[in-house]
Amino acid sequence: MLTLRDLRKRFGGRVAVDGLSLEVHRGEILGLLGPNGAGKSTTIHMAVGLLDPDEGTVDVDGQGSPRNPEVRRLLGVAPQSLALYDALTPEENLRFFGRVQGLSGRGLAERVEWALSFAALSDRRRDRSGELSGGMKRRLNLAAALVHDPALLLLDEPTVGVDPQSRNAILDRVVELRSADRAVVYTTHYMEEAARICDRIAIVDAGRVLALGTLAELLSRHGGDPTLVVFRDGAEQRIVTRDPAGELSRILAAGRVDDFRVERADLEAVFLHLTGRRLRDP
Amino acid sequence: MSASRSRAVWALAAKDLRLLSRNRATLFFALGWPILMALFFGYVFGGGGEKGRIPVVVVDEDGTSEAARLVSRLQAESGLQISSATREEATRLVRQGKRSAAVIVPRGYGEASTRLFHGAPARLELEVDPARTAEGSMIAGILTGAAMQSMQDLFTDPARTRAMVDRSLGDLAAGPPGKRGDETRTFLGQLRTFVDGSPGTDPATGSSGGGTGWKPLEIERREVRNEKVGPSSAFDFTFPQGILWGVIGSALGFALSLVTERTRGTLLRLETSPLSRLDVLLGKALACFLAIAAVEALLLGLGAAFFGIRPTSWAMLAAAAIAVATCFVGIMMAIAVLGKTEQAAGGLGWAIMMPLAMFGGGMIPLFVMPSWMQTVSNVSPVKWGILALEGATWRGFSAAEMALPLGVLVLVGLAGLGLGVRLFRGGEG
Ligand SMILES: Nc1ncnc2c1ncn2[C@@H]1O[C@H](COP(=O)(O)OP(=O)(O)OP(=O)(O)O)[C@@H](O)[C@H]1O
Ligand SMILES: [Mg+2]
Repeated sequence: MLTLRDLRKRFGGRVAVDGLSLEVHRGEILGLLGPNGAGKSTTIHMAVGLLDPDEGTVDVDGQGSPRNPEVRRLLGVAPQSLALYDALTPEENLRFFGRVQGLSGRGLAERVEWALSFAALSDRRRDRSGELSGGMKRRLNLAAALVHDPALLLLDEPTVGVDPQSRNAILDRVVELRSADRAVVYTTHYMEEAARICDRIAIVDAGRVLALGTLAELLSRHGGDPTLVVFRDGAEQRIVTRDPAGELSRILAAGRVDDFRVERADLEAVFLHLTGRRLRDP
Repeated sequence: MSASRSRAVWALAAKDLRLLSRNRATLFFALGWPILMALFFGYVFGGGGEKGRIPVVVVDEDGTSEAARLVSRLQAESGLQISSATREEATRLVRQGKRSAAVIVPRGYGEASTRLFHGAPARLELEVDPARTAEGSMIAGILTGAAMQSMQDLFTDPARTRAMVDRSLGDLAAGPPGKRGDETRTFLGQLRTFVDGSPGTDPATGSSGGGTGWKPLEIERREVRNEKVGPSSAFDFTFPQGILWGVIGSALGFALSLVTERTRGTLLRLETSPLSRLDVLLGKALACFLAIAAVEALLLGLGAAFFGIRPTSWAMLAAAAIAVATCFVGIMMAIAVLGKTEQAAGGLGWAIMMPLAMFGGGMIPLFVMPSWMQTVSNVSPVKWGILALEGATWRGFSAAEMALPLGVLVLVGLAGLGLGVRLFRGGEG
């Protein structure tokens, strides 16, 4: 559905994207996980034709570059910064973006209703968008990307500032899109989100894909072995082992243990392993 | 353009007009402010007060008391504003449009007007601009009335009547005999007896020549083409000024709205839609054009309905309004793409528009500007805008005369549009 090949982009002397290649298929959610300034948004902007890559190519569904307006019919974009008209109501915003995408008449009305309920804003449809709460705006921002039911969705941190309940609802909806055979690129720096909904995750730093695969693949390839932590005689002992259960039974056979726990790798550990830095400052 | 594309462009424009309708500040600067300007300065420059008073210059070449009486009678007319001058100067004043008409009282008027029912009638000359036929007829009527009044006065002063009758009898005695002369002689004789018998009474004799075919006054009317008409009221120039301010307000409002779309990210959404950047600009331009047209229609309508703004032709006025709108849509576009932030665009917009408006006649009416300033003002599209609107109203431009301001406006507009489209399509993000 979307193929990025060896993309490069620099702003003045600063390299934002440095030879990035990715592929996203229908029915798949691809996560772009990386810290601030990793180049995620820049990648998205090139993928939707907002920016011309210095090098490399973008292809959407075999139809070529999204610089071509016809190709952009397939796209739905939820930008990282809210992109709404504050003076228009949610309903007016959605109707306008639907029209711009070529919808009209009944089809438009139905999709606007769908998008309003997607954003759970049906009861706020006639308020000014500028008067909505931050989380509601975020939901509307996402709904505006979906109003025309695009085949390829690019969602740039769609859950920033959304409360846990709404966040869960949004994540569930994104998962539904996958089952409707849409292709989704999901940008985030929340590991939990990436771990929960993404079929594959690309770990991005300094404009490069450092690792790409399913969660299990990433953990097993880059997470290192689990750590068995054992407490006995008031001291803590850390044992890195591929087989924590076997190791524990061996220790138990040798003597008494006050407590134990197994630390398994998560995406944070993967990131640490790959870059020597933590994904987020604590 | 395909149907779906033009639908999308209309959707863009409709969205912008809706946003405009919810933006009180822009709305005020586009509509409220210009109307206030037009009315305030219109009244300050004495707009309403002078309305209806026709400026007339009087040339008294006769110098008799009869002529002086006529002049003072004209001065007493509330519909006229009388000044005096020499014959050459008077003609020049009419030609320059500073006076609507010149009334010349030639030598011999006094003498002719004291001759009753015989001889050549008293003669006045009237020079009027052919475009002001209504005023010309009105002045001719006032002159006839004044002449009649003079004659009536003649009879209310027995001493004057006696002198006049004696002179006329003397004239007739000296002339060749004839049937009409005899009748007049008989009448004058009886009149003489009547005046002697009833001093101080108003005889109210038929003051027209009656069946005798004699005319008391002859007005020789000449056309003097007005080469430089002036406004007939201050509103004639404060409305075009107000319109231009409104147009500037709308254009800057739209320039800012395009920048806001960029900074608020909605432009990003539009640019990832199937619309091309050209479509986005077209939508913005269309909305701006419609908003400016509405401002123009409202102010011109108001001016025409209540403040005596008279288009020479509605088609010409529409052409002027469209040219002004085109010009300022182009300027809006250029400012919008040059300013990257709201502050930059707002600052840039006013920095450009203020001097253009000041020198272009937005403050000081073009026709009172000193000539050096009129030359400087040529660089300002505001000047050409005002000139086009004035040309289609009180200046009464011919189509050929309109060509220059309209051409300049459309060219500036296209240049701005071209620049806007080039920069906007070329620019990133
Ligand atoms: N328009 C721009 N001009 C100059 N530099 C830019 C521009 N856009 C991005 N950059 C730079 O490119 C790099 C990547 O930025 P980008 O926005 O792609 O990061 P990101 O991964 O989306 O970060 P975040 O998680 O904070 O959104 C950063 O160093 C940023 O400063
Ligand atoms: Mg980003």
